[in-house]
Amino acid sequence: MSRQSAASKDLSSCHLCLKLAPSDVHHCPRCGSSMHVRKPNTLPRTLALLSTACVLYIPANIYPIMITDQLGSSLESTILGGVVLLVQMDSLPIAAIIFIASVMVPLGKISMMFYLCWTMHKGRAATPKQLTVAYRITELIGKWSMIDVFVVTILVALVNLGQILVIRPGIAAVSFALLVIVTMIAAESFDPRVFWDQQEEQDD
Amino acid sequence: MCSPKYNDDWLACPSCDQLYDLSEMQHGEKAYCSHCNAALTTSRTDIFSRVQAFSLSSIILMIMSCSFPFLAFKASGLESVMTLPQAVQRLHDEGMTDLALLVGCFILLIPAVLLVLSFAVSLSLGCGWRNHWAKDCAKIIFHLKTWSMVEVFFIGVLVSYVKIVHMATVVIGISFWAYAIFTITFTMTISNLDRYQTWKRLEELER
Repeated sequence: MSRQSAASKDLSSCHLCLKLAPSDVHHCPRCGSSMHVRKPNTLPRTLALLSTACVLYIPANIYPIMITDQLGSSLESTILGGVVLLVQMDSLPIAAIIFIASVMVPLGKISMMFYLCWTMHKGRAATPKQLTVAYRITELIGKWSMIDVFVVTILVALVNLGQILVIRPGIAAVSFALLVIVTMIAAESFDPRVFWDQQEEQDD
Repeated sequence: MCSPKYNDDWLACPSCDQLYDLSEMQHGEKAYCSHCNAALTTSRTDIFSRVQAFSLSSIILMIMSCSFPFLAFKASGLESVMTLPQAVQRLHDEGMTDLALLVGCFILLIPAVLLVLSFAVSLSLGCGWRNHWAKDCAKIIFHLKTWSMVEVFFIGVLVSYVKIVHMATVVIGISFWAYAIFTITFTMTISNLDRYQTWKRLEELER
C-alpha cells in the first residue's frame, strides 16, 4: 500500500481523540484539545527532558535507596549494591529482575531516545519503520523501571519490627521515581512521524 | 468541517500518520498499520458492556484490596501487618512525603479515577444518554491512561515477597489475592477502552 499521510492531505490528527481536522484548525472540533500537525518542538523538548533524566541518574545511583536497621547496626544499600547483595544471597532470578528493571531499562531507554533524537536531527531516516518500532518499545518499557521504587515501598511498610528490624526508604528512591517520570514525559513529547516525513522528502 | 472524503470513518496512524478507511471493519476485527505495525483499533459492538463489567468488578476488587491486610511479616515473636493505604502512609511517616504522593497517585489515585470515570463513560455510552460530562470524563481518562502502574506494582509485590521470604515468616493476606485479580480486571478495562471507538461514539451521540 502506498504512503498517504494525513499531513499530505492537509489534515492533522488529534493526539487525544484521533479526530481528523484541517491542519489550520487550532483546537480539536471534537474534544477541544490543541491540535498540531506534528508535536511542537519535539527535538528540543525531548532533549531537555533527557538531560534532566541524566542529571537525576547520578543521585539515584550514588545515594542509598534503602536503609536496613538491624539490632542497632544500619546498612545502606544503593540500587547496584542491592543487586550485588541479591547475587551474593543466591537469589539470581530476583537479582536479574531488579538489574533489568532499574539499571538496564532506564539506561537503555535514555540512550535509545538520544539515538532517535540524533537520527532525527541528521534528517536522513533511512528506515523509519525500525525507528518507529524502536520508539514504541522504548515507550512501552519505560514505566517498568518503577519496580524497584515499589519494592522499597512494600519493604518499608512491611518490615517494621521496632528495635529488631526496620527498613527505611533512602533519598535515591525519590530521584529514581522522578527519573522514570521525566523519561516517560520525554517519550511522550517525541514524535516518530517526523521520520516518515523525512523519508518522503528524500523520495521526492 | 472536515473534508467530505475524510470523515469519521478515517483514522491517521498515531506513529506514522498513514490514513486508513475503517468503514468496513467487522465486529471482532483488529486493525494494524501496514507501514509501522502499530495497533490502531479493535472493532467490537459490545465494547461498552465489556468496559462496564470489567470496571465495576475492578472497583469492587480495589475496595477489597485496600481494606484487608495485604501482607504480614513475623519474626522473633513480633508481627507487622501491611495494608495498601498504610504502605503509602508509612512513606509519609518516614519523611518521604513526595515519594508517598507519587506512589499513592500511581497505584491508588489514578487507577481509582480511571475506573470510576471509565464506568461512568461506558454506562452513558452503552445506554446512549446524551450528556455534557461524558466528553470531559473521556478526556481525563485518555490523559491519565499511561500513568497508572497497577501491573508494575504487582510485579514489585512479587519481587519483595521473594526477597524477604527467607528472612522470616511472610503471611499472604486476602487483599493480596484481591489485588492479583484486580491487576487482571484493571488491565482488561483499560485495554478494552478503545480510543477511536470511544470518541467516535461520543460524537455520534451529540448529533
